[in-house]
Amino acid sequence: MKIEIEIDGKSFEVEPGKMIIEVADAAGIVIPRFCYHKKLSVAANCRMCLVDVEKSRKPLPACATPVTPGMVVRTRSKLALDAQKAVMEFLLINHPLDCPICDQGGQCELQDIALGYGSDNSRYDQGKRSVKDKNLGPLIETEMTRCIHCTRCVRFGREIAGISEMGSIGRGEDTEIGTYVEKSLTSELSANIIDLCPVGALTNKPFRYRARAWELTQHSGVSPHDCVGSNLHIHTRRNAVMRVVPKENEGINETWISDRDRFSCEGLSSPERVTSPQLKRHGQWETVDWQTALQTVVEALQDVTEHHSADRIGGIISPNATVEELFLFQKLLRGMGCHNIDHRITQTDFHYQQAMPTYPKLPVSIADIEQQELIVVIGGNTQHEQPLIHHRIRKAWDNGAKVIMINPVDFEFNFTPTQTLLVENRRLPEALTGVTRCLAESQQDTEIAKDLLQSVAVTPAHREVADALLSAKAPLILLGAGAQNHPQAGLMYALAERMAQLSNGNVGLLTAGANAAGAWLVGAVPHRGPTGLNVSKPALDVQRMWESELPAYVLFNVEPEHDCANSAKALKALSQAALVICLTSYKTPAMEQYADIILPIASFAETPGTFINVEGRWQSFQAAVIPKGESRPGWKVLRVLGNLLSLDGFNYVVNTEVTDELRSLATTNTPEQPAGPWRYPSHLPTVSEGVERFCYWPIYRSDSVVRHSQPLQKTPLSETPVVTMSPQLAQRLGLEAGTEVKVSQGGDAVVLQVCISHRMVGDTVGIAAGFLETAGLAESFGTVKIERI
Amino acid sequence: MSQFLEKIKSFTLWELLVGMKLTGRYLFSKKVTIQFPEESTPTSPRFRGLHALRRYPNGEERCIACKLCEAVCPALAITIEAAPRADNSRRTTVYEIDLFKCIYCGFCEESCPVDSIVETTLKNYHFTQRGQNIMNKQELLAIGDEFEQDIARDKADDAAFR
Repeated sequence: MKIEIEIDGKSFEVEPGKMIIEVADAAGIVIPRFCYHKKLSVAANCRMCLVDVEKSRKPLPACATPVTPGMVVRTRSKLALDAQKAVMEFLLINHPLDCPICDQGGQCELQDIALGYGSDNSRYDQGKRSVKDKNLGPLIETEMTRCIHCTRCVRFGREIAGISEMGSIGRGEDTEIGTYVEKSLTSELSANIIDLCPVGALTNKPFRYRARAWELTQHSGVSPHDCVGSNLHIHTRRNAVMRVVPKENEGINETWISDRDRFSCEGLSSPERVTSPQLKRHGQWETVDWQTALQTVVEALQDVTEHHSADRIGGIISPNATVEELFLFQKLLRGMGCHNIDHRITQTDFHYQQAMPTYPKLPVSIADIEQQELIVVIGGNTQHEQPLIHHRIRKAWDNGAKVIMINPVDFEFNFTPTQTLLVENRRLPEALTGVTRCLAESQQDTEIAKDLLQSVAVTPAHREVADALLSAKAPLILLGAGAQNHPQAGLMYALAERMAQLSNGNVGLLTAGANAAGAWLVGAVPHRGPTGLNVSKPALDVQRMWESELPAYVLFNVEPEHDCANSAKALKALSQAALVICLTSYKTPAMEQYADIILPIASFAETPGTFINVEGRWQSFQAAVIPKGESRPGWKVLRVLGNLLSLDGFNYVVNTEVTDELRSLATTNTPEQPAGPWRYPSHLPTVSEGVERFCYWPIYRSDSVVRHSQPLQKTPLSETPVVTMSPQLAQRLGLEAGTEVKVSQGGDAVVLQVCISHRMVGDTVGIAAGFLETAGLAESFGTVKIERI
Repeated sequence: MSQFLEKIKSFTLWELLVGMKLTGRYLFSKKVTIQFPEESTPTSPRFRGLHALRRYPNGEERCIACKLCEAVCPALAITIEAAPRADNSRRTTVYEIDLFKCIYCGFCEESCPVDSIVETTLKNYHFTQRGQNIMNKQELLAIGDEFEQDIARDKADDAAFR
């Protein structure tokens, strides 16, 4: 049932319940506004959108007036314009005239609207109000005198970020916006308030004073930090990335991006960037030209194939690499006869790799997550791993969906999950088996994996999860990093699939990195070639590559000490290897030890490419700037290496030829169906006793670009390397917060401080990866010994 | 007859005398030629000559890096880099004017909200080395410091007409 209304003489058929401003915006009729934002609730406190509505004595705010049948609206009548001009005059009374030093100058909603509705002279001759600035942390600069109290930032905190960090204090002239107690914002989406602020009260701190909006060139990009593939606008000036802002895409990131996507660009200008090819000669690093470097790489690789064999080379590539890079990487190594290729650097269990689909893909689109009735997250700190998918989960929860977390740590979320099933990391498979058993018994379908299910006792918590799964229509089960990196990941994936089968639901993997889907599709895995075709001879996965201590490794954009699970094993394998070739954007101290050849490759925003996000969406982008120094786009380096090694099919001119080739392969090849039903074990693997490490990547240690972004490293969300344990465990071990302890695992040991958290459970201790301090531990999920020094 | 007169004029060097009359008039009239560089022609206070960056009387540089001059410059002669100074105020780290590109239109002075960039009445300058045509911030500030009194006087003289 639609109703007809008229705005400025044009009639529109609209849904009842819409506000006038929504209809006007859809029709391209401009109504000035400050407090209204389409993604936030209506506050109607700026009064700028007053319009003339027939049969109303007074002008009405367009943002808060629902349409009614036969309504006649005039946005440019004398009444409306006079009202808007009067509001503008009031707003400008207390707004400082500091546009020349304001970073918002040139991109300011108040400035723009003042041009149309403001007067050239002020009738106000009293003193202007001034407000003390607030310290909101290293990402957001404040100039609160400029604030016009639109409360968009306040509503953002409450409605989108889920943490009410900002609020308004005082009344009338004394109204102030700020945090109640001075503190840095802790939300991982906090910097979106920079875009929301219509004036220059909240601005981008790292970007402060560095450029004007009119100097910047806008390029489209895609976020390289998580599997969401948020759309970005990369703003550049004189071949430097100045800032990143969101590009609206309703299906992916709406109008938001996470702070990680926004501020990681600060890492591009890090002094640790490698800007020229380097060779290690007699233990000394030498800068050489590309020709020498590439020739050395070719000779070294040919040497390995001659003296050992091609399958003694290990190729490890980051899941953040583009489709082009991943495709050429595997083509290069496979062309040499080596199938040891892997991108699953954070994972430790690969038993289920044959059962994987061609590439992992969410069963629903990202936008549809918010329509789900029940979402079960297994082993995931979604808020930090995929902030914008978490935002959709929170929206679902806000719409009344149930959200159940099955986690080894009681992660802090911006909403209270309906149920949290907390178990020690090593008992996660047990918990899933318990839930599956409940489901199987309720559905009277206990034949599959009978022995396994019988081996586990059901607890009331398991039953509660199972009941929720059964009562929901098509529940969505998501496996986070904690599940995928788990030593029993295969079993957990199989159990999740079984849970979904029994409850008519779907399973989705929230994959690590920006392009895990692309990596699977192009065959950057040891057992499958491009488009999911099985290879003749199964080769080594990343963990086997470390364990086999191969003579040669090729690392593409990977810092094993930071990025890989079981990092000490990786470092040991690399230090014994005769040849380690690193294609990288950053040089780390550890890399200087283990690497022999460093080829500098372009980083984020410097290379064209394609990412396939978690819902299987291909997103191509162009380079925004030319690579720093002598760096070259990774796909070009691989192409030249292919040609120098005289391999066939490396005559690409532009990167789109690579994706075209992949697309044509994908249409002609039909991958074999994933290998049959999962063979469940008859019982759960024995659970080791003692203190157990739970390894995770903190939000701002997830990849090398993020790690080099100084502003992100200074935020409250950035972590320091500590060993986090429950108060009970700390008491049992006789440790206090801040005590330095020796954490040992077999022969390896690191020294860390103790942090006590109520969020830990049982004998699980959290020791993050992504730090050099914790890289010395050989097993990401093994038992550890903790001793006081 | 006329032929006869022509002869007389020719013999008495009449044309020469007529010419010399003009020379003679200018020989004794007031001179327009000035003794450069000891002397110079008068200039308007609005004369658009060499640029300068000014300071406030307390020594603080006026420029706040708003970049309006850079934006308005039709010849793209101005280059500015800005960053927060140690006291967190908005300042330029680089302020350069390429005098080869500059067309001396005065838009930069016109656009400046703090009367920082000005075109002084200085018109006698030269470059002896490649690269000297690019005036950096220190040079511009030095000119401003040296001629501040003149600049202030010219500004005051012209204020009534603006």
